Amino acid sequence: MQITHEQISEGLERALYVTNERVETAIFLALALEKPLLIEGPAGAGKTEVAKVLAEILHTELIRLQCYEGLDEARALYEWNYQKQLLRMQADEQQGIRWEELSEHIFSRDFLLERPLLKAITSPSRVVLLIDEVDKADEEFEAFLLELLSDFQVSVPELGTLKARERPVVILTSNRARELSEALRRRCLHLFIDFPGTEQERKIIELKVPELDAKLAAEAARFVGAIRKLGLRKPPSIAETLDWARSLVQLGVRELDTDAVRTALGVLLKHEDDRAKVESKASTLAPRRKSAT
Amino acid sequence: MPRLRDQLVSFIAALREAGVRISVAESIDAMNAVAAVGLERARMHEALAAALIKDEADRAIFDEAFNRFFAVPRAHRGEHPDQRGDQISAAAGRGRPGEDPSPRDDAPPRKAEQPREGALASNPNEKSSPSEAKPSKKTSAAHRDDAEGKDAGRDSDKVSGREERGHEDIRAESPTPGIDAARVARLRAIERMPFDRFSDLDYDEAREALAPLVRRFRIRLGRRLRLAKTGRIDFRRTIRAAMQRGGTLLDLNFRARRPRHVDLVILADISGSVRYAAQLMLELMAGARGCFRRVSSFVYVDHLAEADFENRHLVMTPALDPYARSDFGRVLGELWQRRAGLLTRSTIVVIMGDGRNNRLPARADVIREIARTCRAVVWLNPEDPARWGTGDSAIKQYAREVKAVVPSRNLRELQLALAAIA
Repeated sequence: MQITHEQISEGLERALYVTNERVETAIFLALALEKPLLIEGPAGAGKTEVAKVLAEILHTELIRLQCYEGLDEARALYEWNYQKQLLRMQADEQQGIRWEELSEHIFSRDFLLERPLLKAITSPSRVVLLIDEVDKADEEFEAFLLELLSDFQVSVPELGTLKARERPVVILTSNRARELSEALRRRCLHLFIDFPGTEQERKIIELKVPELDAKLAAEAARFVGAIRKLGLRKPPSIAETLDWARSLVQLGVRELDTDAVRTALGVLLKHEDDRAKVESKASTLAPRRKSAT
Repeated sequence: MPRLRDQLVSFIAALREAGVRISVAESIDAMNAVAAVGLERARMHEALAAALIKDEADRAIFDEAFNRFFAVPRAHRGEHPDQRGDQISAAAGRGRPGEDPSPRDDAPPRKAEQPREGALASNPNEKSSPSEAKPSKKTSAAHRDDAEGKDAGRDSDKVSGREERGHEDIRAESPTPGIDAARVARLRAIERMPFDRFSDLDYDEAREALAPLVRRFRIRLGRRLRLAKTGRIDFRRTIRAAMQRGGTLLDLNFRARRPRHVDLVILADISGSVRYAAQLMLELMAGARGCFRRVSSFVYVDHLAEADFENRHLVMTPALDPYARSDFGRVLGELWQRRAGLLTRSTIVVIMGDGRNNRLPARADVIREIARTCRAVVWLNPEDPARWGTGDSAIKQYAREVKAVVPSRNLRELQLALAAIA
């Protein structure tokens, strides 16, 4: 089940994921060394997408755990299915089954609700496990992840230790809402994905929104690159760039002049302050001044 | 092979020397990584980075060391892709062979544009096929004039934008590519920068860093309020938990009463020496206002003044002269006499200052009275603990009366200190 560097490059290309050597090498290593990969970067630079594309390349399932403040083991790992256990107990009561036998029944795997982490570990084939926005979870949860990430095993008191048959490919993403612990970083390979450069973004637009005129795509990429540098509250993500490109197509924009920029700005910018800031500079930022005709 | 291993070991040693923390496990990872990707320079570069560099802020050190240790062979085409991938590799291809291929000193992309485009067509190793590259070259050439006009326009726009230009300059120096990497590194640096080395520019940046801190701080306080061991039953969450158990109320979930019965009185010194720390603290606490029953903020130099935030600007009544001689003793007296109503058993008093009193009476006795009346008095000191009690610092006298004196030399310490109090 070894996968080569070239296969990854090809796979990424086929999945329309425009990337570079850095991303490819990091993904390759995560697979070759069977280590979790921690991806950091600004929101909307394509961190989560890596996991999705990877699952596609490996032809396997993507199991996703979205982290949030207050996420606990019951939501992330497993939980006993109380309702089912209760039903079983009521049914067994009528048949007069003794408690010893009963307790063996109701604490078996049948009554376990598998949450994403357990599901990834017990899966018979290799899966991609995406632990999204791990920085949003509490520090305790991060500590709990350590055991899982270094040994790929978890212990359920009633069942014993469950070890992964096939080590899942683990991708963690973080927006740096909080500094992650050294211990977690140490166990992961690290990849930083930043916003793409103008040229790379142009490629992305051309691949994903082929309807848009090539010339316009280049202009759009340049414009987005320029407004990201304005120090906005929320710089536009790649997905927003693509939405914007699509809306340009829908609006039938031929030239990216000041007016065209203004009309569809809401797709790109989600804060009123940002919008005002860009609008005030629209005339200098727009690739083309309003044509005289 | 052993030679390469030795080289890697000394490479890692050099990184450690430069202040990058690398564990033994990580160095083993690095060896395995090189074994897995092979010796092609660009790949090895990225592989080692993935295994060794866990913080983008360290990336610059890494790149520098890598170029020093693993020189480009003469015949090497010098491909050096990275974040801006193809463009960088294109520009690198232009460099003379054997030369350090990194244009990662990374002037803002705006400035780098022209050589990059020149190289785009000339470099046969460019990943994108020439047919793809050409139209872009044409369009960009067509826009070059436009772009330059644009830049000129923008520069004149920026007469007032000192801060903005400051950012650009930092970005230009930053060795890491991309916009966000530079921003993150900057914000991290500012979080650790001691307040006493702040300039106005740093203060503006620190305020930018403050926004996420405020949010985190509020969440942290809020969560502690929501999840309580006893108190009022949180009906919604209890029922939700019971749904899983077929409606049996097995677990009760509680919620503390909110807002909590804590009044906060904040006293912040805004005299020259510590004003940045004080203002940042007031702003941080203003964001977390909802988590307390009542928050009263005061600033002082030689008098007490009420402080408030309007549109993120500190407003004080009456206005204080920041260049007056600090007199904390008098301020304490004013607080104790005129604002005694605020000081009750459920009040926590937070004082931010360096306790440098210009040798005026310290009035530690007033603090003792206040500490006796209130729930707690905590002192945050932005000064280096080594300097406490030296010169005109009366902090030692105050320290005896308050619950704790917590060093808060930078944003990070300040935030931790406040979280511990609240």
